[in-house]
Amino acid sequence: MDVIVILLLICGLVFFTGGAVGILRFPDFYTRLHPAGKMDTLGSFLMVLAVALYNIHDFSWAALLTSLKILLIVLFIFILNPTATHAIVDAGFRAGMRPWTKEDRGK
Amino acid sequence: MKAIGLIIVVLVGALLLYSTEDFPSWGDPASPASVHVAAHHLKKAIPETSVPNVVTAVLADYRGYDTMFETSVIFCAGLGCFVLLRLFKKRDDDSYYRHVATGITLHIKKDKIPDASSEFERIDTLWTPYDLIVKNVCRILAPFVQLFALYVIAHGHHSPGGGFQGGVILGASVILIAISHDMRTALGRISEKTVHILMAVGVLIYSGIGALCILMGRNFLDYAALSRILFTDKIEARSLGIFGVEVGVGITVMAVMISIYNNLSSEGRQDEGL
Repeated sequence: MDVIVILLLICGLVFFTGGAVGILRFPDFYTRLHPAGKMDTLGSFLMVLAVALYNIHDFSWAALLTSLKILLIVLFIFILNPTATHAIVDAGFRAGMRPWTKEDRGK
Repeated sequence: MKAIGLIIVVLVGALLLYSTEDFPSWGDPASPASVHVAAHHLKKAIPETSVPNVVTAVLADYRGYDTMFETSVIFCAGLGCFVLLRLFKKRDDDSYYRHVATGITLHIKKDKIPDASSEFERIDTLWTPYDLIVKNVCRILAPFVQLFALYVIAHGHHSPGGGFQGGVILGASVILIAISHDMRTALGRISEKTVHILMAVGVLIYSGIGALCILMGRNFLDYAALSRILFTDKIEARSLGIFGVEVGVGITVMAVMISIYNNLSSEGRQDEGL
């Protein structure tokens, strides 16, 4: 069980790190939101799954209930994170942000 | 004039700094605050009120009088925003309508406003995006936010939370509807009149529970007096009394949040606004 939890945590960490690097290195607003929205969703899913698994290490019905509540967080992150990203992109597009193209390379 | 103000500020600041020397040092176990009252509350909160969260017991029972006036302060803040901001004058600009089937935006002069029909919907003058995803997600999510708010209010006995926090979350769920749809939708769910009645009802519940304790022959806000009408022992009655006033606080805070948001974002007109 511990092995699975540690593997999940490491996988989550990889995704979070990828997201952070992506936010720093991508060229413009829209491409930066891509790692911010996607990597955080999957990364937090893996992390929270690990926490929920660790919580039912000593099995009891109360611990199982707590784990289910923890997994509920994931459900809401899954719905909300893409929606928030969508709203931010929409606001940026309305505010007149121009997407990055190949001609902008090197600037 | 500015010089006099500066002198007063500097003098008061110096006095405050001078008097800090007399305070007990931080975390001092022999300081008056940790000797008398705090120790009593920590030891006696569970046997006296059967509320495991000492913060809630102190907030709503031991110093319930204080919290009642905190609630009144929030009520007054809501009233203040209403009195200062509310305009009872209709916006006489042109208005915008959207043809639902095609999504075309129509600009309509003020004297040619069409009758209400299902083919056209009124949209805000300043901010007119039509975003299906955000609208529907917020619509689906609002009940869960409200459920969580009720959980926070009711679970204040056992975990961090209580009336103030839960009330803010409840208010935020309605504000979420107002932001994601528009203000008319939110006002259709909970009208301005309802909001202002709820503002007063919350304070009334709190002080009414206090007055009920006087009627039952004990001090104001001494919930042990309620044991005869609740058919429980005195300890359980104090726990239930705390829950009652938390509900009152939650209702007031929710209504004040919604009222302040509506007044601020619509410049007091309460017809449209972000």
